[in-house]
Parts: sequence; C-alpha cells; structure tokens
Amino acid sequence: MKMKLFATAAILALGLAACGGGEPAPAEPTPVAEAPAPAPEVAPAATTEIGAAPADIPAFMKTRHDNYEDIGKNMKVLQDNMKLDAPDMAAVTAAATKIKDYAAQMGTWFPAGTGPESGIKTEAKAEIWTDRATFDGTVVKLQEESGKLAATADAAAFKAQFPVMGGTCKGCHDKFRQEDK
Amino acid sequence: MESGQPPEAPTPATAPAAQKVWDVPTRLVHWTLAIGIATSWWSVENKQMDIHYWSGLTVLGLLVFRLYWGFGGPETARFSHFIKGPAAVFGYIPKLFSKNYRAAFGHNPLGALSVVALLLAIIVQVGLGLFASDTDGLFAGPLNRHIDYDIAKDVTDFHEDFFNVLFALILLHFAAIAFYIVVKRINLIGPMLTGKRRGANLTGPAKGIEPIPLWRLGIGVALAVGVVWFVAR
Repeated sequence: MKMKLFATAAILALGLAACGGGEPAPAEPTPVAEAPAPAPEVAPAATTEIGAAPADIPAFMKTRHDNYEDIGKNMKVLQDNMKLDAPDMAAVTAAATKIKDYAAQMGTWFPAGTGPESGIKTEAKAEIWTDRATFDGTVVKLQEESGKLAATADAAAFKAQFPVMGGTCKGCHDKFRQEDK
Repeated sequence: MESGQPPEAPTPATAPAAQKVWDVPTRLVHWTLAIGIATSWWSVENKQMDIHYWSGLTVLGLLVFRLYWGFGGPETARFSHFIKGPAAVFGYIPKLFSKNYRAAFGHNPLGALSVVALLLAIIVQVGLGLFASDTDGLFAGPLNRHIDYDIAKDVTDFHEDFFNVLFALILLHFAAIAFYIVVKRINLIGPMLTGKRRGANLTGPAKGIEPIPLWRLGIGVALAVGVVWFVAR
C-alpha cells in the first residue's frame, strides 16, 4: 500500500513536472469565431475519416492545445456560475456557445500525424486514431449536449444541463486523453 | 542444566499504572484525519471528484478543530505543551539513546516537529485544494470561482505536486513509529487507539491528562463546522 502510494506519488510528481496541465493539443484548428455562431442547431461533423497530415504539425498541435485551453476557460465560467444562486445567464450562454462552436469543429482537430507519434508533447492518445468511430461518437455527443447547454434559457435548465455536457467531456477524456502525469 | 529455578515469571503484583495521554477528540481527529487524507488520495486517483470535494472539506473541518484543540484541548494536545525550542529538540536526541530513556508524556520534542510539519503541510494542501479545479473543468474547489483560470491551473498543479511533501511527511511519521516499536520497544499506536499508556517508566502526571469541560469541545466542533460551512456555501 505504502509502496503503491509512493510509486503513484512519484509518477504523479514526474507527470506534473512534465506538463503545465495542457489538454490534448489540436493541430491547427482555426480558433472559434468570437461571435457566437448563429446556427441554432449543431451540425455534427461526424467525420469518420482521418484527415491528411497538416503542413505544419507543431503549429497545428499548438492551436489545438490553445483551443482546449480556451474551452477550459469557458468551462470555468460555467463552473463558476454553477455555484451562484443566480447565474449570469448572459455569460453562461456566451461560454456555452463558444464551447458548442469549438465542438462543431473538433472532429477536424485530429488529422494524421498529430498524435503521440509526432514526438510533440500531447495528451492525445493514439486511440483517437485507432478507434476513430468511438472518438467521433464522443465528439458528436459533446456537440449535442453543448448545443443544448447553449440553448438553456434559465438557471435551472443550465444547472441541470452543465453536468450532462461535462459528462461528455469526461467520457472522452477518460478514453482518449493521457493525463500529463 | 541447573533447572529447579523456574524462569523469572514477570507477574507484577501491581499492574503497571495506566496513564491517560490522549483524549478522545484528539484520537478521533487523528484517525479521521488519516482516513480523510487516504480517501482524498484514493478519490482523486480514481477520478471520483465529488468524493474528493467532500473528503477535502472534511479534512478542513478536522484541521480547524485540531488547531483550536491546540489551544483549548488537554495538555498533550496543546501546542504550548509540546512545541519546544531547538535546545530541547537537540537535547532530546542523546536522551533518546540513553539507557534510562523515558517515553514522553504526549509528544516528545522531536516528534512535535513532525506534528507541526504535518499540520502545516495539511494546511497548505487543503488551502490549495479549495482553489483547485479538476482537469475536466467539471469539479472545482469551493473557492475556485474567486480566482481566474490561469491562476487556478497553477494552484491545481501545485496542489498535485504538494501532495508529495505531505506524503513524505506521512512516511516519516510511519518510520518514526516503526523506530519506536523496533528499537525502543515502545508502542505508540496503542495509546493513540486507547488513549492510555502502560508502563513503569512513565513521565508526566501519573493519572495523565485532565478532563476538558464539554463546552470547550462544543466550541471546537462549532468552529470546525462553521468554517466548512462558510467556505463551502
């Protein structure tokens, strides 16, 4: 037990030292437009195909990473509002819409050559490429649930939907993300 | 060869006196703190962040109580009783290896350093945890919303890293207990369970600690619950 604890702690420490807590870095996904996309319905871009390798793999992966960071920031806005009795619904809708917009293009963030084999530090697991159908399925789920979240009009609906959408994040992370530890 | 004499049967007519060294609240807090920290570790390793949230807040409450008890508790729980200066700490080491070593009444001066270090480490760890957030952005410490995303990320990384410090201190704690059992033949775990120490070479008052009025305990419980409520509300 102690040894296991220790080993885990050591691994933890190593991992922590390794990365400042980045998420899987998407290659060169275009940053989401600032304005909330007007399209009310999510158009799940269920591409079961793996795109061709981008020209500049490091830049692509950096942008992907930054996009996930930005999703994290918007998640925090939602998380913060979850704790309020009267959430700021304008902020909630804006954050949820951003996440929805990112989700809409997420399927294109993992083309060939942008996984661990790139040699670039990434939390994206090789399974994203070997089990693409499942991965795309989780992306579609996020698209659907983030769409619902962006459409919530009142605090109660927001508080009910946030954990559901978050569950889709976690569901994918558990399978396809190598935590940086 | 020369039998006849049965081996000396150590049956003292008078059982060694039992000295009360640890009161119930101190023992309870000690063991629940151990469980709380273990649970916090297990839950985060297994991504049970809802459990981690509550085990962390439980640790906070226990910590608040223990700090209060360091002033309002019985002698052996009080900081003023066991925190000693460098002279006492260094003076203790030769005593530890002397023939007529006597177990301390409560924490010894060296062990007190370990207690203080552990408490400080738990303060830091719990304090960081209040502001931390999980990597999925789904769960966050109750005070996370007061800081921004980038700072929260650094705090979270530090919260993860700092566990190693706490863990090292816990290992040191275990090692010291093992040392006393193996080398000094003194069982420190028993008294932490029963509250009593038996033996002929006790120090401190024969009966041990004085009882503490219930209202003082009540204040501590109210304080602990109050702080947790205030933080988590």
